[in-house]
Amino acid sequence: MRRTLIFGLAAVLAAAGCGVGETSQPEGGASASSGGKVELSFLVFETPNLNAAFWDAAIARASAKVPEVTIKKLVTPNIDRTAYAKQLDAAGNLPDILQSVNPAGFAQAGKLAPFTDEELKNFIAPKAGAIGGKVYQLPYNTQVIPVVYYNKDMFAKAGITATPTTYQELLDISKKLKDGGTTPFIVGGGGADTWADMYPLTGTVATDVYKKTPDWLLQRAQGKVKFTDPDFVAAAKKIEDLAKNEYIDPAGLSRSYADTEQAFRDGKGAMYPMGSWFATSADANKPSFEVGAFPWPTDDGSPVTPTFTGGGTLVSATAKNVELAKKWALAFDEDKENNDAFVKADGSIPAIKGYTPPADMGPVYNATVAIYQKGMQEGSIFDAFSQEAGDGALPPGLADKAALGVQDLITGKKNAQQFAEFLDDEYAKATQ
Amino acid sequence: MTQTMHRETRVKARAARPPRRRGGFLPALGRFSLFALPGLLAYTLFVLVPIGMTGYNSLTNLNPFNPPTQFVGLRNYVNLLSDAEFHQALLNTVIITAIITVLANVGGLLIAMLLDRPTKLYVLLRGVFFTPVVLSSVVISVIWQAILTDDGLLNSALRGLGIDEPPGWLSDPDLAIYSIAWIMAWQMLGFCVVVYLAGLQGVPRELNEAASIDGAGPLQRFRNVTWPMLAPALTINVVMLLITGFKAYDQVRVITNGGPGNGTTVTMAFQVVQTAFVSNRIGYSSALAAVMLAIVAFISVVVLRFLQKREVSQ
Repeated sequence: MRRTLIFGLAAVLAAAGCGVGETSQPEGGASASSGGKVELSFLVFETPNLNAAFWDAAIARASAKVPEVTIKKLVTPNIDRTAYAKQLDAAGNLPDILQSVNPAGFAQAGKLAPFTDEELKNFIAPKAGAIGGKVYQLPYNTQVIPVVYYNKDMFAKAGITATPTTYQELLDISKKLKDGGTTPFIVGGGGADTWADMYPLTGTVATDVYKKTPDWLLQRAQGKVKFTDPDFVAAAKKIEDLAKNEYIDPAGLSRSYADTEQAFRDGKGAMYPMGSWFATSADANKPSFEVGAFPWPTDDGSPVTPTFTGGGTLVSATAKNVELAKKWALAFDEDKENNDAFVKADGSIPAIKGYTPPADMGPVYNATVAIYQKGMQEGSIFDAFSQEAGDGALPPGLADKAALGVQDLITGKKNAQQFAEFLDDEYAKATQ
Repeated sequence: MTQTMHRETRVKARAARPPRRRGGFLPALGRFSLFALPGLLAYTLFVLVPIGMTGYNSLTNLNPFNPPTQFVGLRNYVNLLSDAEFHQALLNTVIITAIITVLANVGGLLIAMLLDRPTKLYVLLRGVFFTPVVLSSVVISVIWQAILTDDGLLNSALRGLGIDEPPGWLSDPDLAIYSIAWIMAWQMLGFCVVVYLAGLQGVPRELNEAASIDGAGPLQRFRNVTWPMLAPALTINVVMLLITGFKAYDQVRVITNGGPGNGTTVTMAFQVVQTAFVSNRIGYSSALAAVMLAIVAFISVVVLRFLQKREVSQ
């Protein structure tokens, strides 16, 4: 009954011309058997790095290992696969298998099938992203978010000889660059890619909040802390100040993710705080300058490495054959060639036991992995704000609101205190 | 003499008319059902039933990720009254609607008057102006995004002209909504051109000639002859543009995603979808959708009645 009612809403929105009806609607998640095989739908998303050819080849390799399954590929209309999965679910069409969708909400509502400990035995962090002790998304890879990628030529031209190890040194470098007529930071977030503006804040929250209180977001869920607490406001103030000092150009907020990457390649700014997935893009399609990488620095120079582990494949609890779907998902995520392809295409750092990346990886990827490995050795791995999964994740929809709030910080429409108050308000709305 | 002729004509016409079928109410109902029922069923199934369901959902706290669903009465509607984001979305929607209604109408009328000539070049130009109307809003949005971003065509041209710091058409919170409205007006311009052209071609040439003979200049002829005759075209354009403005979603989704910043370019339709499918609050978003439907219906009916009265009085 509820599905029918929700479908009713979706139909009204489409009838009202709200745009839902304009996206190409795949057929439902309910799959049909064909020729003795089970057909399962698989929701993927395409980016410049993970294009259609990449997905087709990866699907073919996993299907070769699970011949009982044939896969019907569904592609999200944009990179926001979680929002699209919700639309499909609202219409009763949740795909059987989903790639890199945030499980928050889906898992609690019983819409996803949990993986057993036995099924997770090959993963380095088998409990990463657990919700109520159960893992619904294969923790197949780790990403460092953010890494500060920088233009070595611009640094040299500004007389900068070493990368910063403290936040003050980062500010000093930014001032030198700006005084020399270079925009210090490239930050995007235009079009549908609002999320692309988050990474400086992800860095400051890791260094100023999570370093002191690693389970801060879990404590926020329990009401023990608030965004308006001094540590979080201080993290937001750093972004406010970067923008006030014109180290971040607000005009960049009109750039989509792809345009933002291109702006860095075109030398429109010296530093590009981005997820580690940029590394292989920089190696595969080299800019006209050398790219270096360093972690977002702390005030006292102690190491902090914000990471996210998870992001793999999920299986619907209502898939036609859940066991086969999980078998296929494991085959997809554990396949060496698939992981090589993910590494090469998207700079992922696979979190699968015994996996070693291809030997011919480029210098930017190797520099990125070195940052992660140093973080592991030093015990400085912390969550990446707004990227968290599992019990310590932001409530559904709040990461999008935070990204919009960061735009307000950068344009000066909100100060750090107002931004924090805004997040507390939105948190209350999202959890009511 | 004239009356006799009319009577004869009426008698002949009656004789030529096929005999009226007689069979009573039930066969007539059967014939009506045969032709109307499929349409009625489709309309009921895909329009009336979903609207009813939306109304029902709006009285609940439905959130598919946070069961159980409870009946909350009018609480969602009461909350809307104090919801600053809803007020902002409503204001943004009104601004966008007002701008596209004025811009597209004025621009459409001017261009229609320029194109109201029977040569092949002008016929070709009509097609050119109509092209944006048949293109997908998403395609239009992507094109305009490439033009209006900081590194886009427009700012590159302005920099080429010596303007070092051109406006942030999409990144400046004070400008972005006007950029969205401009793009929508541009897309709807061709529609207005075609409707006004049809209206202009329906203006009897004799009326303008008579006005000229009476000494009326071009402005007087437009004001006293052409403009009153365009009343039906104005009605169509205004109502269509109002509806287009109030359901603005695609351009916002593609070009700004509601930003820059929180709520800067959020429209009512955008907020409905975000609330339903990002925040998962389907009950609340249903209340938003119901209010949006009521506002669009009310304004459309009022404007339609007003403009139709004007047509009659003309």
